[in-house]
Order: sequence, then C-alpha cells, then structure tokens
Amino acid sequence: MSVTSGNILEVRGLQTQFNTLDGVVRAVDGVSFDLARGETLGIVGESGCGKSVTALSILRLIPPETGRIAGGSIKFEGEELTTLGEEAMKGLRGHRISMIFQEPMTSLNPVLTVGTQIAENVVRHMGVSWRAARERSFEMLDLVRIADARRRLDEYPHQLSGGMRQRVMIALALSCDPQVLIADEPTTALDVTIQAQILDLMLELKEKTGTAIVLITHDLGVIAETTERVVVMYAGRKVEEAPVEALFAEPLHPYTRGLMRAIPRLDIEADAAGMRPRLQEIPGLVPRLTQPIPGCAFAPRCGFATERCRAEPPPLVDAGGGHTVACWEVDRVRASAL
Amino acid sequence: MSEPSVLEVEGLVKHFPIHGGLLQRRTGEVKAVDGVSFSIGRGETLGLVGESGCGKSTIGKTVLKLIEPTAGRIVLAGEDISSLKPGAMWPHRRRIQTIFQDPYSSMNPRLPSGTIVGEPLENFGLSSGRDTDERVARLFERVGLRPDAMRKYAHEFSGGQRQRLGIAKALSVNPDVIVADEPVSALDVSVQAQVLNLLIDLQEEFRLAYLFISHDLAVMRHISHRIAVMYLGRIVELTTKRTLFTQPLHPYTEALLSAATAPDPKRRQQRKRIVQGDVPSPANPPPGCHFHTRCPYAMPECKVTAPPLIEVAEGHHVACLRRPVGGDPGPLSVPG
Ligand SMILES: Nc1ncnc2c1ncn2[C@@H]1O[C@H](COP(=O)(O)OP(=O)(O)OP(=O)(O)O)[C@@H](O)[C@H]1O
Ligand SMILES: Nc1ncnc2c1ncn2[C@@H]1O[C@H](COP(=O)(O)OP(=O)(O)O)[C@@H](O)[C@H]1O
Ligand code: SF4
Ligand code: SF4
Ligand SMILES: [Mg+2]
Ligand SMILES: [Mg+2]
Repeated sequence: MSVTSGNILEVRGLQTQFNTLDGVVRAVDGVSFDLARGETLGIVGESGCGKSVTALSILRLIPPETGRIAGGSIKFEGEELTTLGEEAMKGLRGHRISMIFQEPMTSLNPVLTVGTQIAENVVRHMGVSWRAARERSFEMLDLVRIADARRRLDEYPHQLSGGMRQRVMIALALSCDPQVLIADEPTTALDVTIQAQILDLMLELKEKTGTAIVLITHDLGVIAETTERVVVMYAGRKVEEAPVEALFAEPLHPYTRGLMRAIPRLDIEADAAGMRPRLQEIPGLVPRLTQPIPGCAFAPRCGFATERCRAEPPPLVDAGGGHTVACWEVDRVRASAL
Repeated sequence: MSEPSVLEVEGLVKHFPIHGGLLQRRTGEVKAVDGVSFSIGRGETLGLVGESGCGKSTIGKTVLKLIEPTAGRIVLAGEDISSLKPGAMWPHRRRIQTIFQDPYSSMNPRLPSGTIVGEPLENFGLSSGRDTDERVARLFERVGLRPDAMRKYAHEFSGGQRQRLGIAKALSVNPDVIVADEPVSALDVSVQAQVLNLLIDLQEEFRLAYLFISHDLAVMRHISHRIAVMYLGRIVELTTKRTLFTQPLHPYTEALLSAATAPDPKRRQQRKRIVQGDVPSPANPPPGCHFHTRCPYAMPECKVTAPPLIEVAEGHHVACLRRPVGGDPGPLSVPG
C-alpha cells in the first residue's frame, strides 16, 4: 500500500460493464488515473464516453441489477474500494468522498427542507447533536453565499432557483469536510452568469478547505478555466492526460485535436471580414460499446490510422512533462500542424 | 442592409396569464416578450441570445404564429401576418419554417423518415407520389444523409442525423425564413460542427434568413451576422457581431461576455468580473431597467425609468440610461 504517496485516489484499469438487451456495454474499459491531494482534475469527453460511469464506480453507485465493476482497482487513501463492504462505503459517501450532479433535484429530497437535509448528513457522519448540525447547515449555506441563509434553511428544494439548488448541493457535499469532491457536469444545466458564479465558488471553497476535486464535463471551456490536470476519454478509454496548459498548447491525441478544432473560436479578424470560417468536423460517429473494439477505438474516424491501429490497442506512452497519450502515430501527429 | 427585410418585427408583445388560487383565477401575467423589434434580411442570420426564460423561444413561436402575439406587428416578405387567423395564415406558413433543439419529439415514431421529411411538400400541395420521393431523396443527399435511409425510422438515427432530418424537412418547402431554436444545443461538439457547417452552406446556397436562438455565445458568434441580446423579455443590445464582441455597451452584455468560458487556460489569469445574483422572475420583473438589481453601474434613476432601445451609434442599438446617443463608448464608472 502506497499510503505515503501524495495521491488521495488511485484508479487502475477500471472496467465497468452493463448488461443490456443489445449485449454487454463496456462503459468504462480500462481507465487509470491518480488524484493528488488538493488537486483539481478534469475529465472531459463527449456524451456516452464513460465519464459519469467512472464517477459512479468510484462511489460504488453502479446499479447492481444491471451493472458491475468487472475489473481494476480504486484506492482511496490506500484503501481498496472495489471490494469494500456496503456499510463501510456508506460511511465514506457524503463524508470523505462527496458528489454533486448535473441535476440537483435528483439528489435533493423534495419533501425535506434544505436545512434538514444538510443537518441529517452531518448527524449521520459526524455524530453531533441536531442543534449543532443545524448550526452547521446554516454555516454551509452562508459559505456558499446563499443570501438570507437563516430563512432558506426552512425552504424546500422546489422553492429555489436552479443556481441556488446547485449551491445547496455544494453545501451538502462539503458539509462533512470531504477529502474528495466529484462534480459531474455541475454547471451544465445553468445559465452562463450562474455557471460563472458556481465555478468561482467551487474554486474558492477548494482553496479554503483543500478538498481535491474531480470535475467532469463535456465543455472544454470549463476544463480550461478551472482544472489543473485533464484526462480525455473516448469510448470508455483514457486517450490522453496532461497538465491543462500542455493539453491546450499541444494536444497530442488526434481525437483531442479534433475536439479542439470543432469548437467555434472567437476570431476577430474573421468577424471583421464578415467571414464564417468552416469548423473542422470529426467525421463519423462514436463506436458502439457493445462490440469489442480490437484496436484503437478512434481508428474509424482518425486521419492518421494505420493497419496496426485497427488491430492493436495503443498503449499509453509518456510524451514528457506529465503528458501521456494512447496513440501509435504520436510522432506523426506531433509533426503535423495543429 | 440595402434590400428590404424578409422578416420585420415591431413592438412585439406576448403576455401569458398566470392562474392561481383554488378557483384558478387569473392572478397576473408573465411578460414573456415585452416590446421587441428587429428585422432580418435575406441571407442574414440574426442571433437571439440570453439566459433561460428571457423570451427567446416565445419570440420564435410568435413569429411562426404557433402562438398569437398580444400586440405588435410581424411582417413576413412584405405581408402583415400579425393578426391572420389560422386559415388565412396557411399560404404564408410555407415561407417560415422551424428547426428545434430536439427534432425527435416532433417526429412520428411510426412513420419512415422519408415520409416525415416529405410531409410538408404534400401538405402544401407542392408535390405528390413519386415526385415527392425524388425530391426527398435529393434533400437527404443535400443534408448529408444517404437516400436509402429514407426507409429508416427516426429512432434509428443518431442525434446529429435527426437534426439533419429536421433541417431537410424545414428546407423541403423552400422557405424564406428559418427559426432555429437551439438547433445544436443537444449535440456533442464534433457533431455540432457538422450541423453548423451544413446550416451555413444551406444559407448561402438558398439565401435563407435565420432567426437563430442559442444560449451559447461561441456558437452564436460563429453563425450570426447580427446579434440581439435579451434580458427578461426585452432586447437590451442589438448590433453586428463584431461590435458586440469588441465593443459591448450594455452592462448585461458585458456580464454575459465575461462569464462565458473559453478553451484557453491562459484566460483565467485575467480574473473576471462576475455579475452576482439570480435572474429575477419574468412574472415579477424589477421596475425601471430590468437589470438594475444586478447592474454594477446602476444609478437611482435606473429603478424608475425603463430605458428604451435606441441607436446610439450607427447600427448599434442599446437600452441603457447611461449609454446616450453619441456617448463615450468607454467603460462605465461604478457609482459611489
Ligand atoms: N405557454 C406558456 N404559458 C405561460 N408562461 C409561458 C408559456 N411559455 C413560456 N412562458 C414563460 O415565458 C417566459 C419566456 O419563456 P421562453 O420559453 O420564451 O424562454 P427562453 O428564452 O426560450 O428560455 P430557454 O433558454 O430556457 O429556452 C418564461 O418565464 C416562461 O416560463
Ligand atoms: N445503467 C446503465 N445501463 C446500461 N448502460 C449504461 C448505464 N449507465 C450508462 N450506460 C452506458 O455507459 C456508457 C457511458 O455512459 P456515461 O458514463 O453516462 O457517459 P458520459 O460520459 O456521458 O457521462 C454509455 O454507452 C451509456 O449508455
Ligand atoms: S492509434 Fe492510430 S487510430 Fe488511434 S488515434 Fe492514434 S493514429 Fe489514430
Ligand atoms: S439603465 Fe442603469 S441599471 Fe440598466 S443597464 Fe444601464 S446603468 Fe445598468
Ligand atoms: Mg454524464
Ligand atoms: Mg427556449
């Protein structure tokens, strides 16, 4: 056990699968990454690439009727989570590892007041009195800058705006001082000005509390502005990982490059000339996850693909400076223009 | 624009009644659209941007005459359609078509996609039988679908392909104007790029006018020629996209631009000015300038007087008491 390492979370070769009518979905297919203490790690990729399933696997929230962790290891503070008993897992969730979701209504209880929900979590994990827990609820609502926090304690989730509900989720998630906060698309459902407030709040609280954050999003703008290191996923696999500056300065995987070229850019010269430059498309569609993918999952859409790419999965290789990439042709990719 | 506009909207108002209490009496109204004016020329995209609930879709539905305006004028290709009843509206319907965020919800799951795309052609009596099939096959090709996919059902297509079906259907009757309400919001970026490119190509080929609704500023900037920024039922700024992005004059536009994220980690050093507070309810908007509750530059008068949208510089319309005609376009000072 490497309790001495600076990593609070170590995920190795994670495989999570679901049984469906179309066959076995390999939602997460051998993903590895580390989360250092106090770090903000981004996980980015298009819908269906396995981001949420990765998060749910860490919290052991995969529905047991259809899904299971089929392989790999998840270590939190050196302790193996994949085999941990459900009671012990319950002690971790909402306490030492917390999660916030895209739609707060799915995780807030509609029939309990906001104050009661936060207090319940605090009583359960910290074993303090109701009175102390209620005071903690107030402090938390105040911390996430909900105006008039004392009054809001007695309100129900439906009485709050979307932005306020997300603040309550954050207050709830942070109420027991977790070491890890997993935020799955926390601002995707919010308006831009409210998104900016929430992202700002998360970063500010991270500075205060030292909680490490896994921020999951499909939005490269959110990744660029909030994370320190980034994992890029495609079809259930990690294809690239790098410090955020390096990833945006020189993306090395053809898929990451494709994503970056596909986003509309703010381009003053083109605006002035009244031009609308063509966006670079990534041709084709993501592969089905029910069929085994023998080689590189991106091969059918990749301009660099060779026979080897279609036959053998590319291993992750070290590209220097903490940058790793899973691509057979990385030298050719690197030599080509961005 | 030297040529006449193909769609002109003047003083458009749409209020929805609010019913409450035991007897469901009318207790108030939502001023979803509160006196909006704009025009769009052939081949032009006017972008409509603003936060959830500000009235974008309501404008779209009203100009499509899917809902009746409370007041105001809608002139489509020179005809005033504001008060046309459904029967009289019918011949004009062909001219203005729509593309939705989720085309699937409006498609009959039991009909083959070719039939769905051909429906408007048959409904407007523009073609029938084999002729329709041939036209639909050409439309499929034009939007990047294989004609043999005409036999497939909507659920057999991916999100991006369904959006192509929706575009083919809207295009089939050769409209002048297309109202596109968040057409790429549900799509992944790689597919979004395919659909935006297609929309631009079609616009240039057929000189289509687009009323393009989106909350995504980067998408908006990519596709629009001019952009209208909305806040709580009103347009607060309307100008060319270049001016909007390089010299925004309305404080709300400034707030939107600074809140938008960009795929550039270097940008985060220039820490943003984030506007605080929530968007007020459109059922109970603040008096005076709707933005005064969140505006860092608000003066006492802003709580009382609603600023009209005025042309402060050529082609640059702004609704702010602190932005007079010919005023200094520099940054505003924070009072106090
Ligand atoms: N049929 C209706 N009856 C009552 N109120 C309505 C109706 N349709 C819309 N509204 C209200 O009118 C306002 C504007 O709604 P609209 O759908 O136009 O917003 P929007 O700008 O399109 O928002 P979004 O970005 O969320 O799509 C909102 O307050 C909405 O709740
Ligand atoms: N409960 C489930 N049953 C079956 N398949 C699932 C389930 N949850 C997720 N999947 C599948 O797993 C894959 C990854 O999903 P997810 O992690 O939710 O993607 P995202 O990256 O968008 O968060 C997708 O193909 C999805 O359809
Ligand atoms: S391994 Fe081959 S197919 Fe995969 S991304 Fe690299 S070049 Fe493309
Ligand atoms: S009118 Fe006043 S409150 Fe409204 S945007 Fe201008 S300065 Fe701000
Ligand atoms: Mg997800
Ligand atoms: Mg809408």
